[in-house]
Amino acid sequence: MGFMDKLREAFGRPPAKEVAKKRLQLILRYDRAGLPPNAIEAIKEAILGALREFPFVDVNGVNIHIPEGDSDGKIEIEVPVKNE
Amino acid sequence: MADKVICITSGKGGVGKSTVTANVATALAMKGYKVVAIDADIGLRNLDLVLGLENRIVYDLVHVVEGVVPPEKALVKDKRTKNLYLLPAAQTKDKSAVKPEDLVKVVEELRDKFDFIFIDSPAGIEEGFKTAVAPADLVVVVANPEMASIRDADRVIGLCESMQKPEPKLIVNKIDPKKVARGDMLDVEDVLQILSLELLGIVPEDKNMVAYINRGEPAVLVPDSIAGKALRNVADRLLGKEVPFLELKVSESFLDKIKKLFGSD
Repeated sequence: MGFMDKLREAFGRPPAKEVAKKRLQLILRYDRAGLPPNAIEAIKEAILGALREFPFVDVNGVNIHIPEGDSDGKIEIEVPVKNE
Repeated sequence: MADKVICITSGKGGVGKSTVTANVATALAMKGYKVVAIDADIGLRNLDLVLGLENRIVYDLVHVVEGVVPPEKALVKDKRTKNLYLLPAAQTKDKSAVKPEDLVKVVEELRDKFDFIFIDSPAGIEEGFKTAVAPADLVVVVANPEMASIRDADRVIGLCESMQKPEPKLIVNKIDPKKVARGDMLDVEDVLQILSLELLGIVPEDKNMVAYINRGEPAVLVPDSIAGKALRNVADRLLGKEVPFLELKVSESFLDKIKKLFGSD
């Protein structure tokens, strides 16, 4: 680790280029899927609200995401069920 | 066979499309290829300035499209470089004056007479962009290592895919090795990772570029210009030559000397 990196770590700030890269990777996943940036959060909220009515659904394990790479116009929603 | 009709585009404005077009076209003409550069930015003509040809324009692309003159008659011969011609944009019309099929037709008429046909695209992703891309065998996306430029480039790449164009190639322009070393600017590898295109060129920020444009003298004509060298390399790669990318070294600064003193890095 270089001097500058150490200095930055001491001040608790990652390099600006790393911030830019992370922000871009996130923005572009939404852009490529043609979705507004808060779409997943909004959908998740609505779906969790509906799923809470079903006691056999593990709501903590619900995963909603845009698939990696070519999303092909899809959002993936995984709904695990409790099987005890 | 090398791609003959090459559209230079970017989405975002101000990233260096016209500069790249003028320089790469000049570099190929210097090698003896017959080259025409078409300014497709109707209403915002600029390529003539970068080439220093603004005083020689009589007819423009819209005159050609309207059938006032044949394409050959509207070509402006470059004053420095033999074999280089400019087909200027109209300055008074708007983008809708040239439709995709119009530019395809003009390019078809010029195709057999030239080794390379460059199309300098307008910024944006509307009709002007679609017109500029329509006749292209190869689309070259110019991006700066900067968030807005990369986001716009990604849009353009997506649109090219939906227009069933072959995958564009990428030129990263205005990279500043000092800012990269400091961790402030995205590196070429970062840009490539995000956009995942084949790399055609890395062009460093060149503080003399403003002066070259002010003089209407492309940087490729200046032997010791580092950006000029990078752009000459782009021309070679378009000819299918394997040219290594320039190593952009940061000259040792005061800070580097201090860092060495403290034995880090």
